[in-house]
Amino acid sequence: MPPTHDSLNLLPGTLDLLILKTLTRERRHGYAIAQHLRSTSDNALQVGESSLYPALQRLLLNGWVKAEWGLSENNRRARYYVLTAAGRKKLQTKHEQFEERIAAIRKVLEAT
Amino acid sequence: MRRLIQRLRYWTGRKRTERELAEEMELHRAMRQEELERSGMPGKEAGHASRRAMGNVSVAREDARAIWIWPWLEGLFSDLRFALRGLRRDRAFALAAIAMLALAVGLNATMFTVMNTMLFRGFPLVQENDRLVYIQEQGPSGCCMSYPDFEVWRSQAQAFEGMAFIAERPVTFSDGGESSIRIVPFTVSANTFELLGVQPMLGRDFVSADEGPGAAPVAILNYRFWESRFGKRDDIIGSTVYFDRAPATIIGVMPDGFDFPTQSDIWMPLAHTPELHQRSGLAIFEDPGGFLAFGRLRDGADLDEARAELETINRSLEAEYPETNRRVVPTVKTHSQFFVGQDAPMIYGLLWAAGWFILLIACANLANLVLARTVGRWREFSTRIALGAGSGRMIRRILVESLTIAIVAGALGWWIVNWGVRGWAAATASPYQILDHTVDSGRLAYLVAISVAAAIMFSLAPVGRVLRLGVNGPLRGDARGVTRDPRGKRLAAVTVATQMALAVVLLSGAGVLVRSLFNIVGAETGVRDPENIVVGTLRLPPDRYPSPESRLAYFDRLEAQLTSIPGIDAEALAVSLPVGNRYPRAIEIEGRPSPPDGSEPVGLLAVGPDYFRVVGASAISGRDFNNGDDRPEGLPVAIVNQRFAADFWPGEQALGKRLRAEDGEWRIVVGVVSNIMQGDPLRQQFYPLIYVPFRQEPPPNQRPASFLVRTGVPPDQVMQVVRAEVEQSDSGVTLQDFATLKASFAFNRDRMPLAHAELGKNAAMAPIFAAIALLLAAIGLYAVVAHSINQRRKEIGVRMALGAAAQDIRRMVLGDGMLPVAIGTILGLAASLAVNRVLQSQLVGVSPNDPLTMAGAPVVLILVALLACQIPARRAMKVDPTVVLRND
Repeated sequence: MPPTHDSLNLLPGTLDLLILKTLTRERRHGYAIAQHLRSTSDNALQVGESSLYPALQRLLLNGWVKAEWGLSENNRRARYYVLTAAGRKKLQTKHEQFEERIAAIRKVLEAT
Repeated sequence: MRRLIQRLRYWTGRKRTERELAEEMELHRAMRQEELERSGMPGKEAGHASRRAMGNVSVAREDARAIWIWPWLEGLFSDLRFALRGLRRDRAFALAAIAMLALAVGLNATMFTVMNTMLFRGFPLVQENDRLVYIQEQGPSGCCMSYPDFEVWRSQAQAFEGMAFIAERPVTFSDGGESSIRIVPFTVSANTFELLGVQPMLGRDFVSADEGPGAAPVAILNYRFWESRFGKRDDIIGSTVYFDRAPATIIGVMPDGFDFPTQSDIWMPLAHTPELHQRSGLAIFEDPGGFLAFGRLRDGADLDEARAELETINRSLEAEYPETNRRVVPTVKTHSQFFVGQDAPMIYGLLWAAGWFILLIACANLANLVLARTVGRWREFSTRIALGAGSGRMIRRILVESLTIAIVAGALGWWIVNWGVRGWAAATASPYQILDHTVDSGRLAYLVAISVAAAIMFSLAPVGRVLRLGVNGPLRGDARGVTRDPRGKRLAAVTVATQMALAVVLLSGAGVLVRSLFNIVGAETGVRDPENIVVGTLRLPPDRYPSPESRLAYFDRLEAQLTSIPGIDAEALAVSLPVGNRYPRAIEIEGRPSPPDGSEPVGLLAVGPDYFRVVGASAISGRDFNNGDDRPEGLPVAIVNQRFAADFWPGEQALGKRLRAEDGEWRIVVGVVSNIMQGDPLRQQFYPLIYVPFRQEPPPNQRPASFLVRTGVPPDQVMQVVRAEVEQSDSGVTLQDFATLKASFAFNRDRMPLAHAELGKNAAMAPIFAAIALLLAAIGLYAVVAHSINQRRKEIGVRMALGAAAQDIRRMVLGDGMLPVAIGTILGLAASLAVNRVLQSQLVGVSPNDPLTMAGAPVVLILVALLACQIPARRAMKVDPTVVLRND
């Protein structure tokens, strides 16, 4: 398994959060999501396909995203993921949880 | 819920989803390759690199798939594993639960199958039985069917797709060899099999040309007859057989298992004799059931419509032919009404209801057992809930465990159903009732449904308990608070009371049915030691004995042979055996004007001179018949029974009076004899009877004669010899119903009126149900009492430490256990008063509220209940206070 996988598993649910966040502006297909994560994090976050696609399926199952087929920028059939209303709400709570945890972790780290 | 739907959608479109996923990932790889190429990597290398970066594609795909199904299945499997492990650990519980439930669902489904067979399935192999109706006519002079009326129906009635006519025709049959046998084929309209939707398996069906006058005689064989008589020869089609010595051609063989309308060896086309077409009313047909019509209802027509239409037609026939058709009405019935009886829905509905009673009792037991088990695991459950397991998960565990029990029990139950239905079919087979006993997938579906329903029923109580428990309930101390839950105790009491009430209903129902059966078979018949009387009924081949003289000569020869057998005390011939037919005739008594429309007919039996000696009747006054009387030209004498003397000459001397039957000669009454049962199949009353010497009124052609021999040695020592002598007297004579008279008194459904024909089955089934119900209820009571004592060991210990004697403890336990029993018994008695009233039409010589039964059922129940309480009570008395109190 690629090492990037582990780096995202630092906190459970982080990958889900990042994917949801990626989809807030526009619909994207899987490759675009990976690209976006990579470029916005200045190559720090390398999402392996082996964790990206299961994560996408999980989001589909929970109804936080929905999938639709469309044409990619170079006219190939691609599956685009769209954030649903439930997903937007989830993103909100997940984001808050994440902030809380980060804050908690920081407190622990700074306490020493 | 939404997730479940999503999952289902995933499952249904699984192939597509996976294809799409693969496509999506391939696109991803291709895009990466392009990007690498843009950054200057050579094409081939870029392809490898992109593939490397993807990692293991199939693992990724597996992971994606797992998201959809795994957690759910995993949960289910873990629950199932948990259930199996739990059941294996608590083997006694598992075995008891499975055994009880298997018995209950097996019985219930058996009764459901039987009810279906009796009420709805009709004939085996026949298409759409529920569209067939069976029609006879009923007039003031009797039944059954007039062919001219049938032709009018067939041409006028709109409610039918088609109609056919059926008549019995007794013939001697031979396949060309020396020996001939007497059989009773059915002659049927040519369209009969077509209407039924059954084709011959070999050869061809009848066509209308076979029925016409002058058609070449043909016959179709029953599979059974083809097998036994012709060894399943394929070349049978086209061969010649002889009916009453006239040749006929075999044109077909019906498929295995087909019989219509009762058991018969051969079908022939309707013989259009002048008698058949005679508009002579209904009286020409002596044998009811031998003649009937049936029709297939047109789509959209129903039974009532058909009945109304035929009634209208019959009213116009009545106007047209007042002589023969006065007050002749059609009876239009379904298969079950015609062949099983009008009361069939009630009888089999009740049997099915009894099956539900058993199932409810078993469910109550299981509910208590599962509840006790749940309470026993309370600490475990509490801990799990405290650690965050949702109560949903706990409930699922209980349900999965219950369903596991139900599935195993259902499989065993299926075996019981197959076995039970086969046993039922074998025990109740009758040549006059053709039924479809196949156990099909519909029955299996029913069994599965009631097993699952039972599992849910007996899980309700423990599930309810878990729900009430909530999240903060547990860990509030030990299990004591929960088990002392007064609601739980009340529930146990309610289930015990319900079980007892159901058991009382079944017991008292069984009681009155069994008493009815005993009132029939145990009735006083007026015969002394029937076990020492060997009887048989003889049918003489009519072609060989056409005249009365030839028949009397045969009887002379037979009697000479029979009396020469050592070990035989006395022998007599008779037209009918005790309890058999009484052959009613209109009679006239000298000096009395005969009433205008004929008085009540009186039974008239021709019997040999030793008849009264053989049956052991005592002569009240006058003399017996003697050999001088028993000659065709003998003095015209008669002997009447006590009942006759009391009815017709009350307070007068019967001897010397004169009477005659219809236009027969006047006879002098020379004796009065004690009453012998005759003519009432239910054996509830002695009819007035006139006996005349056998040879003065021998049985007419085609009617059987019977012989009776009283043996001085055990009958089985002479029966072989008697049979040999009868066969030797003439091999063409058919010997029927050869047995002791006692054996012939047994309950025989084919000799009972249709309304009571099933009493034998019911009286046999009902006690089985009652016994099982009683047993299950007793087990339930035992379990409840034992469980409550287990929970109260400490309390009992304290009481004993404070000076309660063992007897006090026993009284306390019994009182606790017996209170719901008493309440249930009272409720059950009240219910049986209503239920037994439904049984009324089945009862013989006993009231539905029979005091003996109504007193006996509770006594039996309470004795069994006391026994069930006694065992745990004993254990309670043995509680050692020091041990119990120290343990805390």
